[in-house]
Amino acid sequence: MATVHGFTGVVMKRSVIRWPGLAVFGGIVALIVIVSWLFLDAILKVSMEYGLGRVNGAEVNIARVEHEWSPLTLRAYGVQATDAAKPTHNQVQLESFSADISAAELLLGRIHIEQLDVLGVRVDQPREQGEGEVYVTPSKDDVKNWASANWEQLKVSLPSTDEIVQQVGLQTDQVLADAEQKIEQQRTQFNDAKAALPDKEKIAAYQQQIKEITEGDVEGLGDVAARKKKLDQLKDAIREDKAAIERFRAQLSESAEIVKTQIARVKDAPGNDIDRIQNFFQLNETGLQNVTGLLLGDRARQWSEYLLLAYEQLAPMLARSANSQTVEKARGAGESLSFVEADAPPEFWIKNARTEVLIAGTAVNIDWQNITHQHNLLGQPTTYQARVDNSDLWNAFNLDGELSLLESGIDAKQQWQLKGANLKSLGLSESDELTASIASALLDSDGTVLVRGNQLDGEAIIRMLDLEMLAQGSSKITNAIAAALKQLNRLDINTEIAGDILSPSLSLNLNSDLDQQLGKLLGDTAMAEAQGKLNEIRADLTAKVEQQLGPNTELLQNITQLNSQAGDFNQQLEELLKSKIEDNLKDKLKDRLFGNS
Amino acid sequence: MLTLLAKLFKALNSETSPWALAMAMVLGMFLGLTPLWRVHNLVILLGALIFRVNLTLFLLSFGLFSGIAYLLDPMFHDFGLAILQASSWQGIYEAAYATAVGRVSQFYHTITMGSFVFSLLISPVVAVVTYFVVNNYRKRIQKALLKLKVVQMLRGSRFWQLYTDLRG
Repeated sequence: MATVHGFTGVVMKRSVIRWPGLAVFGGIVALIVIVSWLFLDAILKVSMEYGLGRVNGAEVNIARVEHEWSPLTLRAYGVQATDAAKPTHNQVQLESFSADISAAELLLGRIHIEQLDVLGVRVDQPREQGEGEVYVTPSKDDVKNWASANWEQLKVSLPSTDEIVQQVGLQTDQVLADAEQKIEQQRTQFNDAKAALPDKEKIAAYQQQIKEITEGDVEGLGDVAARKKKLDQLKDAIREDKAAIERFRAQLSESAEIVKTQIARVKDAPGNDIDRIQNFFQLNETGLQNVTGLLLGDRARQWSEYLLLAYEQLAPMLARSANSQTVEKARGAGESLSFVEADAPPEFWIKNARTEVLIAGTAVNIDWQNITHQHNLLGQPTTYQARVDNSDLWNAFNLDGELSLLESGIDAKQQWQLKGANLKSLGLSESDELTASIASALLDSDGTVLVRGNQLDGEAIIRMLDLEMLAQGSSKITNAIAAALKQLNRLDINTEIAGDILSPSLSLNLNSDLDQQLGKLLGDTAMAEAQGKLNEIRADLTAKVEQQLGPNTELLQNITQLNSQAGDFNQQLEELLKSKIEDNLKDKLKDRLFGNS
Repeated sequence: MLTLLAKLFKALNSETSPWALAMAMVLGMFLGLTPLWRVHNLVILLGALIFRVNLTLFLLSFGLFSGIAYLLDPMFHDFGLAILQASSWQGIYEAAYATAVGRVSQFYHTITMGSFVFSLLISPVVAVVTYFVVNNYRKRIQKALLKLKVVQMLRGSRFWQLYTDLRG
């Protein structure tokens, strides 16, 4: 590529190489190296903030970064990772970390950290510099599913008696109306049947006729036959009346039964209404919502963030770094693919780490081994352990676990035991509705957590012994809750932990018998207040019942009396039916034949 | 900017080989289309500096193609991803990935791979088009332009002063 340039008539062929260009190139390269050297810490800081921010899904701030060349060491101070679900808070923040990096592996593009020391780890801390930027906004489903958001949403209220009476719908009046109708029906039937009954005169007439037939002079056999025929006709009439009496008695029995039943219903009606009102005052668990979750939810979430540090902080970051799909791509940033061979060492591997987690001023050291996102290459899971006995906060604490990132997702397990944790002046609720705190308690907890294919499933038991609570409410309901809380001296809480480990947070469900205890107590409180009004209702209903019971009871007595009277008639008719004309006639004929008369 | 344009016109109106100008255009295109902080761009820069390539056109080409690259980044990503996921090449990628040179080159980055291969594919076209434009400019357009009243007015301007200063 020669260039011909005319100059004062001399043609000169210039070299294709421009040697001064080499010097300029050297100068440019030297400049890049010098600038990088001078500003390496700042470049590292910006790069780490960007890279960790992408993996975290929200802004990461680093106050200062330092490096040393020999041995190759990186130190960072004031690292804060914004909580994507709550940008006003840091999901995790640490005072400093120091990483001893293998230079040989770095040249081959691998980050192998022999020892990582992380100091001053805290979770869920408010961000001093204001809200952090969120790169991947969590979906609504991912946001923690607490039993209730706050006390203001506690929908239950102690109902007034009038409201309850209106809602219950007193049934005494209806019962009275039904009874009245049925009894009136019986009264009509009773009167009809009574009208069809033979009266005393008719029975006396029967007796007179039988006497006339069976007594007096006998004219002969013809007369006997005529009397017998007449007696048979009379008996037929008596039998019809007897059958009418029996039907009447059956009707009386049925009427008596119905009237008795209705009278019993009427008598019970006021009591039943009062019972139903009282039942309405018994607040069930649903009505109360989950007071356990409401009261202890925030604190349990805070505890869980420490206990599930490996799952809530580390695992999602490792998983996101392993899977570019979970990190929202910046435009023009592209994507770096991994072509690591199956037998190659992991690209990112922290062989040993020590994290000093600060819990209420007490440092808990967690030792980690083999932190990586390529467990398939390493062939071992990430393991971690913590053991702190006889600390200021508790008698014994044990935690160990492991986790692996596999193609199917994250697999992990963890278990812990905490014995004799001293809780003192632990605020639970500071809302306008209710202030509550644990003045003192002894807390034991143990639990296990399993993760299969990113799905976390675990349970923990929190036992609070020697519980002394301080509480004050500002409304009728919260006052009642506060009173109940102050009576508690032991509380067992079952905690269920579940959710997708890659989502920014997990859900906790808290259950205890606190809700039932509160329900009963609130019901009793409401009942005590409503007792006067209930007495009025009872008196009113009873008066209505008494008013109706009088005539009905009289009817029942009449029925009973008449039944007895009908029984007598029946007996008399029975006696009349036994009359025989043959014997009388025989006697009369004997007298006439043998002259006895 | 005026100086840069004046230099460009100087290069166009000089007797610099059209192929040398085409080479400057192509090298500038590589630098502009591919991500800047990549090792291969050091090689491009070295080539542009060490060979007698017109640096003015190289810089203008770099600026022009940097703007185009911003628009084409999503396409480069898809293109690079397709290349890097080509199953028959996985063995080669794995071997390259295991070397320090491979890692430093960042070939495994989708936009780097996509934009680099794209630049390779279109470089002959860019070179030929540049050669054709320069040649035609010199044969036809230059003379026609000089006759235009606008150009004659320009020749009395500061821009022309710069141009002639450079030329002198």
